[in-house]
Amino acid sequence: MRKIVSLLLGGLVILGLTAAGWAGETTLDKIGRTGVFTVGTRTSSPPFGYINKQNEWGGFSVDLARLVHKAIEKRLNKSIKFELKESTPATRIPLLSSGAVDLIAGTMTDTRPRRDSVDFSLTFFVTGAQFLVKEGSPIRGIQDIAGKRVGAQQGSTNERIIRERVPQAQLVVFPDQPAGFTALVQGRVDTYTNDGIQLYGLKYKAPNPNEWKIVGDFYSYEPYGMAMRKNDSDFRAVVNNALMEALEGGEYFKSYDKWFGPRSETPYPLSDTVKRFLMMQVVPK
Amino acid sequence: MSFFAFLGMQYDFQWSVLWTGERGQWLLQGILTTLRLSLTSWVIACALGILSGALRTVPWKPLRLLAAVYVEFFRNVPLLVWLFFWYFGVPQALPRAAQDWLNHHGPEFWSAVAGLSVYHGARISEVIRAGIQSVPKTLLEASVATGLSVLQAYRLIVVPIALRLIVPPATNESLNLLKNSSLALTIGVAELTFMTRQIETYTAKAFEALTAGTLIYLVLCLGIASIMGQVERRFRIPGLIARAGRAEH
Repeated sequence: MRKIVSLLLGGLVILGLTAAGWAGETTLDKIGRTGVFTVGTRTSSPPFGYINKQNEWGGFSVDLARLVHKAIEKRLNKSIKFELKESTPATRIPLLSSGAVDLIAGTMTDTRPRRDSVDFSLTFFVTGAQFLVKEGSPIRGIQDIAGKRVGAQQGSTNERIIRERVPQAQLVVFPDQPAGFTALVQGRVDTYTNDGIQLYGLKYKAPNPNEWKIVGDFYSYEPYGMAMRKNDSDFRAVVNNALMEALEGGEYFKSYDKWFGPRSETPYPLSDTVKRFLMMQVVPK
Repeated sequence: MSFFAFLGMQYDFQWSVLWTGERGQWLLQGILTTLRLSLTSWVIACALGILSGALRTVPWKPLRLLAAVYVEFFRNVPLLVWLFFWYFGVPQALPRAAQDWLNHHGPEFWSAVAGLSVYHGARISEVIRAGIQSVPKTLLEASVATGLSVLQAYRLIVVPIALRLIVPPATNESLNLLKNSSLALTIGVAELTFMTRQIETYTAKAFEALTAGTLIYLVLCLGIASIMGQVERRFRIPGLIARAGRAEH
């Protein structure tokens, strides 16, 4: 027993030493000291953060993070290395807290409980949850899923809403998107639910995109934000200013067109309401 | 205030997230699912392991070969791959009606049971084989000389002695099985690790949830180790594994 206790204590000391490494340091100080800006993003959430068929890691969120990177370089007045790191819904908050990444730029919905643990940038994308079904499926929206086997991604806000609103649905929760989609393709589940835009990404990646369709009205509101460590308002201001400048200067919309425009792989037109909402977040200079 | 405050960690601990609302119940459900999954798989794995471990030592080559193929095939592929195989692959080969039936009877859980038991069966098999081979061959010959058939000699003499010899490595395998059951979350089984991640998702309190998971696994494993320790003492054959009884494990 004494052995176990001393082992545990040893583990805690190691944990403590790693934590002490960056204790009290602001994110900007840390980036300035190490010369590296590390962004946590996804590898399988097209078109926000994913590895494409040419094996390049990029996406809309990554593009926006690059704009933040430029703003940091300008602010610190030195060249900083831009690094990407895989972060899943389950790992992203620990990665931030431990200092392994400085910013999460993926598909993270800004929610009130999450704001207890991390700070969010302004909203850079708005979507809502829908359902992905095989052509010919009787499911047309959240009203049809009672008794059906519904696949969802762990860590997503929509999993939680289904649990609360349709407890009769048989929810099968997968840790990542590919497993959930495979389960749908193989018929293990009747439908797979996630944020609408991510379903379009899956449909595009499917071997036969025409076999699949996205159904139902948005049954949730999913405003995406970039997440950072709490109580670091200087860094947060740099991130937010970079996003505001991108919205104001048009880089945001250029990038939007690249990833969601009519000629992109996942066309997703920006509605006037969403556009107005995004622009109203831009405060005056 | 938190224990980590003096380390300067910018994190506000809220241990109450582990039991407020329905979360205590989630953890409990997770523990029960983990135990049900591990126990079911363990029983099947032991049966498979004892059978194939014994077959690997019998004096008839085709049976030895059959058991060797089973062991090498299943233990040399990662468990995660086996879980995907049993969940995504195997049902595809079944007729449509069987698939529908399976889909309504928890395919996640039973695929995980299949994956865990067949994989660990192969590993336990090696432990058993080592146990049987450490029983002197002369003992088998002596038993047969008393008029027992080979099957009887195995069932009554060799295997019971071997089973006693292998309690420590078998404990190890059992603990591995319990811990490996956490991989079942990749195919959607709501076991303990799944539930701790669920709590993290809902509350964004990762450290609390992970700590709870860590401690629960530790307690479960220490519990199993102590049960196996008692089994070892209870079934010890004086003079045979007395040394093992004294040694620290």
